Amino acid sequence: MSKGKMREEEIRRIIRADDEWEPVGPTPMPNLTDLRNWDFRLLDTYEPFYAPFCDLCCLCTYGKCDLTGDKKGACGIDIAAQQARWILICSLMGTAAHGAHGRHMIEHLIEKFGEDFKIDLGSQVNVEAPIIRTVMGLKPENLGDLRKAIEYVEREMIHLVSATHMGQEGSYRDFESKAFHAGMLDHVALEAADIAQIVGYGLPTSIADTALVDLGWGAIDVKKPTIVVVGHNAVTANAIVDYLRQHDLYDKVEVAGLCCTALDMTRYDSGAKVIGPLSRQRFFLKAGLADVVVTDEQCVVTDIPQMASEAGAAMIACSDKICYGLQEASAMAADDILKAVLEEQKQFLILDSEKAAEVIVRAALALAPTRQERKKIMTQEEAALVSAKCRGTCEACNRACPNLLPVNVAINQARQGDFAKLGSVFLRCIGCAKCEEACVNDIPIQKVMQAAAASDTYKIRAGRGPIHDVEIRKVGSPIVLGTIPGVVLFAGCSNFPGDIDDVAWLAEELARRKYIVTLSGCAAMAASMRKDEDGKTIYEKYIPEFDAGCIVNVGSCVSNAHVVGAAIKIANIFATLPNRANFELMADYILNRVGACGVVWGPYSQKALSIGTGAVRWGIPVVLGPHGSKYRRLFMSKKEASDWNVIDGRTKQVVNTEEPTPEHMMLVTETKERALVTIIKQCFRRNDTPPGRAIKLNSYISAYKQVIGGLPDDLQNFVRTEKEIPIVYKREVIAYLKEVGWKPKTVLSLPTLIGTYETKVPIEATIK
Amino acid sequence: MASEFMTTPYYKVNILTGTKAAKVVSEPTEAASIIDKATNPLYVFGAEVIDSPVGDRLLIDYALEIAKSRDIPICATAHVKKKMMELGVRPDSTYDIIEIVHFLKDKSWAGVRGKGFHDLVLFTGVRCDLAERGLSTLKHFAPHLKTFAICRRSHPNADFALPVIPKTEKWRVYLEGVISELGAV
Repeated sequence: MSKGKMREEEIRRIIRADDEWEPVGPTPMPNLTDLRNWDFRLLDTYEPFYAPFCDLCCLCTYGKCDLTGDKKGACGIDIAAQQARWILICSLMGTAAHGAHGRHMIEHLIEKFGEDFKIDLGSQVNVEAPIIRTVMGLKPENLGDLRKAIEYVEREMIHLVSATHMGQEGSYRDFESKAFHAGMLDHVALEAADIAQIVGYGLPTSIADTALVDLGWGAIDVKKPTIVVVGHNAVTANAIVDYLRQHDLYDKVEVAGLCCTALDMTRYDSGAKVIGPLSRQRFFLKAGLADVVVTDEQCVVTDIPQMASEAGAAMIACSDKICYGLQEASAMAADDILKAVLEEQKQFLILDSEKAAEVIVRAALALAPTRQERKKIMTQEEAALVSAKCRGTCEACNRACPNLLPVNVAINQARQGDFAKLGSVFLRCIGCAKCEEACVNDIPIQKVMQAAAASDTYKIRAGRGPIHDVEIRKVGSPIVLGTIPGVVLFAGCSNFPGDIDDVAWLAEELARRKYIVTLSGCAAMAASMRKDEDGKTIYEKYIPEFDAGCIVNVGSCVSNAHVVGAAIKIANIFATLPNRANFELMADYILNRVGACGVVWGPYSQKALSIGTGAVRWGIPVVLGPHGSKYRRLFMSKKEASDWNVIDGRTKQVVNTEEPTPEHMMLVTETKERALVTIIKQCFRRNDTPPGRAIKLNSYISAYKQVIGGLPDDLQNFVRTEKEIPIVYKREVIAYLKEVGWKPKTVLSLPTLIGTYETKVPIEATIK
Repeated sequence: MASEFMTTPYYKVNILTGTKAAKVVSEPTEAASIIDKATNPLYVFGAEVIDSPVGDRLLIDYALEIAKSRDIPICATAHVKKKMMELGVRPDSTYDIIEIVHFLKDKSWAGVRGKGFHDLVLFTGVRCDLAERGLSTLKHFAPHLKTFAICRRSHPNADFALPVIPKTEKWRVYLEGVISELGAV
């Protein structure tokens, strides 16, 4: 259905269309089909690639339906559309998780400060919400406006969920368009949620040099009462910090976190500590070092109540998303709750964050003196003893391991007193504990790992939030010209295929080649877990600015919005293109001119999928680690054989650029070596000037020679003129190009897809 | 020929949820026969070929012998090319694993040597979970070709797969058997 005049009027009211900060563009608060033509244009070049998990569809009672070969489901769906439907469903899960987080955070802060509470991101950030401005056309001024953003997300989501029902959407391309919509909404939610917590809690903004904070399980002083918060919503964690401050207890209690709550808590107070990413949850909680375990929401392993109970720790759940069947105790007196916690080991759900904070702190203070014996980690002697039954022959643990690790060898060697292999397995362990479950001898493998795991303390820089407008003005030109070779965001989870610190290796390889490296969430944590010979992590070695050769931790999952926002700001602040309700204009600019690439090396959650899917709609390609193949969908071109036509903004003529840039929009690489050269390649843009392309090619060739060997065999696709050949490789590249019959290609300074498909955006809009 | 359908691979993450499972190729003679019947085969080498010992040799040594026996073009995925160059062999293609699978879906693709679509694609050394996903893609979207996973961990989504071969020594014997048979075919 089209919007209708009443809805259009409603939208104008919501976004205060008469405010004249910019004219309202063609797509204010777009609905399911408003950006469909843009999506289809992307899909024409970047075809969906499906890798089905299952031959069947099991969603309705006509099924199960076999979808192999030419077969269709009883409803008529085929295997491609079914994969695309799953992708939409999973993207919606991710968007809902971030959106609900934002809704909770914003409502909590409105309760506290009122809906008129101003958004002020400091002197360095004037374009406060580039995503919300672009997608909705709204310039949010207060918490009430951020609630409008979440309400928009919710409104769209009901239609998207509806489309997944049987007998609704039937085309894989339309499912993908809807998944793009879900991903874009996800970014709206991310931005709203992070801006809310920045202004509501006074998190860092408009500064780059945020505090270096401690990370690692060795950083926790477990002699103190220890509170561990797990999840992605820091409302209760911050209330705990407030309670400790108010009662002069902050230096007497250890507060640490797992996953993004930890990152957000360290933005609130740099004295808090980060234990590690998602993959360390079970390992740490089974170690029993926490006196009180606190869960909020998202990416919280669901057997925490059992683990806490087995460790003799108290456990309080604080989110309506994760209730665990526990009694909700917000109406009870804190003394009564505490009594039940301490005397009956009862676990509670407490949705009142202030009350939860009081109970949690008092429980930690009371429990800690009684739990010191429980906090001793397993020694190597004890580990060898409990592993005694392993002979390393049944391999049940190996077969169960989703990361394909040789657990049997490690445990068998540990049994004999050699813990080196177990240490290396721990570095690659994703913490699912399936090995333990499969073990026929009931060896507590996660606990045994305590004896082999390094307990180093690392330094991570607290998340800095938005990229500053002044930084954008400085780097906008070199990024668009290509002389800063790219902006790379490492985001997502800790389902890494190899060592946990491979992200640090990738980040450093790029930073030393002068890429702007940004990180968030679990990837940001993992990147701190590698030290150089001087004992320094990348956060200590590299300047935390948004500039060439720098490394920036933007913050938690919701802070991913700031990197997409930076790409939009380049178009809006540097290129002065209007972004208000102008999604296609911004996305087209990013796709063709901003050499940005997202990397999810440890993909796990549906949230990471929705973030990545949204990035693609913005024109930002995404590189995934091998586990990303289990998302079941990628977007890939056929390289030189695909459609690389653009409009030359100067002549308004269609030009076949013959260069596949960016080459793919979402792909998986098998190894970190391949990931490095792929990330570099994904930062090529058609707008690169010859000097800029030469710098990018220099990075590509040097990295390729370093990790793969020889010259890349696709150079002919990316060298447009001889001027672009890096001097240091000139002779061999020219010889190679001659061998393969290379011919020069057109270099454009204003390439655009606008005009190559049906759109309301005029070509003139792409030129300022 | 292949005598049974396989549903239980070594890794549980690769267990088939579906209806169309690989035929198990238990004997090297069968494997050689499948390879020999192909008119335009392709061999995809994954990253594990360069660091997986099989006896006192590496997996890549065996895979190269199989490729050499029938002049099968090689696609070196991941960072395999470097090792191949050290061994004095230049791969025909260096697409990464997902890229080559993407191209293989297209029957009109010219193939790595420009001879048209590949009717049989052999896979060795690709990370097992990733390989399984790529094989699923080809099972569903590339009816014009057959896949053969020459992997001791076994792959239900291939058209042809080896049984699980837990012992390295048996794996060595199997590979040498295939090479020997190809020499004899």
